[in-house]
Amino acid sequence: MEKNNKDDILIKLKGLTKRFGSFYAVKNVDLDIKRGEIIGFLGPNGAGKSTTMKMMAYLLKPTAGEIWIRQNGKLEQLTVRNKDYLLDNIGFLIETPTFYGDMTPNQTLSYFAKLKGYPRKNVKKRVSEVVEMFGMSDWKSKKIKTFSKGMRQKIGILAAIVHDPEIVVLDEPTTGLDPRARKDVRDFILKLKQMGKTIFLSSHLLYDVSEVADRVAIINQGKLIAFDTLENLELKSLKSVINFEIYNYSNQNLPNLLERLNKIILPLTGLKDKSKNKVEFNENSKVFEVDFNGVPENQLKIHNALFENKFDVLEFSVPKANLLENLFMDLTDNSNKEIQNEKDNYNIEKD
Amino acid sequence: MSDFKEKEKIGLKRHFTQIYDTITFELKRTWKSFIMLLIVYFGIFLLFVILNELEEVQGVEPPEKAIDYIGGYLGMLGLLIIISTSTLGAAIIVEDFQKQTGNLLFPKISKSRLLMGRIVSRYALNAILIIFYYILVASITNYKYEEIPNTLRDSMGWALLYTFMIFTFIIFMSSISKNKATAIIISILLLMIAFNIIDSILMFTKTGIEPWFLLTYYENIITASLDMPDPRYETVSFGRPDPNEDQPEFKRWITPSASGALTGMIIFSVLLLIAAFLLYKMRQSKNE
Repeated sequence: MEKNNKDDILIKLKGLTKRFGSFYAVKNVDLDIKRGEIIGFLGPNGAGKSTTMKMMAYLLKPTAGEIWIRQNGKLEQLTVRNKDYLLDNIGFLIETPTFYGDMTPNQTLSYFAKLKGYPRKNVKKRVSEVVEMFGMSDWKSKKIKTFSKGMRQKIGILAAIVHDPEIVVLDEPTTGLDPRARKDVRDFILKLKQMGKTIFLSSHLLYDVSEVADRVAIINQGKLIAFDTLENLELKSLKSVINFEIYNYSNQNLPNLLERLNKIILPLTGLKDKSKNKVEFNENSKVFEVDFNGVPENQLKIHNALFENKFDVLEFSVPKANLLENLFMDLTDNSNKEIQNEKDNYNIEKD
Repeated sequence: MSDFKEKEKIGLKRHFTQIYDTITFELKRTWKSFIMLLIVYFGIFLLFVILNELEEVQGVEPPEKAIDYIGGYLGMLGLLIIISTSTLGAAIIVEDFQKQTGNLLFPKISKSRLLMGRIVSRYALNAILIIFYYILVASITNYKYEEIPNTLRDSMGWALLYTFMIFTFIIFMSSISKNKATAIIISILLLMIAFNIIDSILMFTKTGIEPWFLLTYYENIITASLDMPDPRYETVSFGRPDPNEDQPEFKRWITPSASGALTGMIIFSVLLLIAAFLLYKMRQSKNE
């Protein structure tokens, strides 16, 4: 057996395409997922995230392209003949799962572990272990119909990992959950990473992804429009947001304050197009916001300028979620424009 | 090395273990429904016992032959079979779409193995209900007549085969229905009303055709096999006899022959199962 390497590609998607009639749900997607990393898979509703994941789970057959999965050290192409063998190395949570309400987590998870060939004599121990991981030991013998949505979602994640796969594919695991449950799920994903699992996580909740993902893949209208680390994407987009809070400002002087801040900050943002940029005040959070080019030097210059001008700055940050949101909006907007241009050109040629 | 690396039971062995695990899981899932049905079966049996005893108390002589006495108890068996097969079988396919449990199950087990496990477990429970009812009937017959006719065993065999065919029909309905309730209602309407209406139409139009294409026709052999009639049809007339007019007579088929019933029920079961499985596979793709 090959030695596990940090740079091992565990899943490789090559030109993956799914067409329903003339509609391309997924078009020519190339993606490598390496051992031990968390990939955030982002896209608007209907972008093709679930379709991609269903193809990986062999719930849908690709129209074209290949899926390669590493099992026992060897990368093999997923086919109908080896799908049981290869998919044993992946745990799936596809969309919001529904369980049999009259069954308990113990019964359900034991069944799933056995289905995936987990050694029978160890199933009971394994189920207890995974239930404990999520702090649900007290609930393992209670009927699932008595569980909240958050608890059911946790059982869904446990169902994906109960057979101890190397790769975990989670489709929108935090959607519809309250903030507490969302945090629990995020923490659990990080815990899985610490355990050496490789995670492919789809979501449209950008904050959740920004908190856990090592690399981010963005899909729009079936096409992969970006795939890189957050830092690299930030550099590519040359746009990010600074949030800061000022102590003891007066609401009456707010227009003057904003004018002063604009004068000080805007020349330091590093943005080429300064005309649309200005410091804004968020009434709800009482936080000032301004776009900048995402370069740490510029961030520092703005920070220093505020102190030099005697502003009592309480907090100064570049929230990752905002960064991802900006990236996401920019990239999807650009992609939508490109797709529209392609369609227009096609129509002109046709005419 | 993790436990995961040790598990390499892929192939035929995995197929069988998955089916076995599904059977045990399904038995746990349907246990409550089974107990409820067991009570229903026992309740119906008890009802017949009480009715028979009441008749005897009122001076009505019990049937002379044990076979006739048994026939009375089997009169409601067709209805019981429809109730139990639809209770245990109506959700068998449709629930994966209605409850969206498919997303959880299908990355772990193929539809064919899942369906096979479900069929085996739920049919086994249906079969236990039938055998339980026959044991009750045999016991009371033995108590009353101090004998159990050998043909009761044949009747039970036919009942088990008929149950399987009706069960496959319910599975088929489950594969085309939107939810469990629809599958149950349509199945009961077809089995208890529509097929009987067609049977009556055939009789009144005097076609003389044996209704082997009606599933419910095969139910008749359960009782008829106790004492197989010859010929297998009877001539019946309706209305008040009028000496001035010839009474119209109609040919009614009592039961299929043993070979006909065996062939018919096996063919129906196989066709319905194949159709249900294909629809299950197609429907899944469409849904996704």
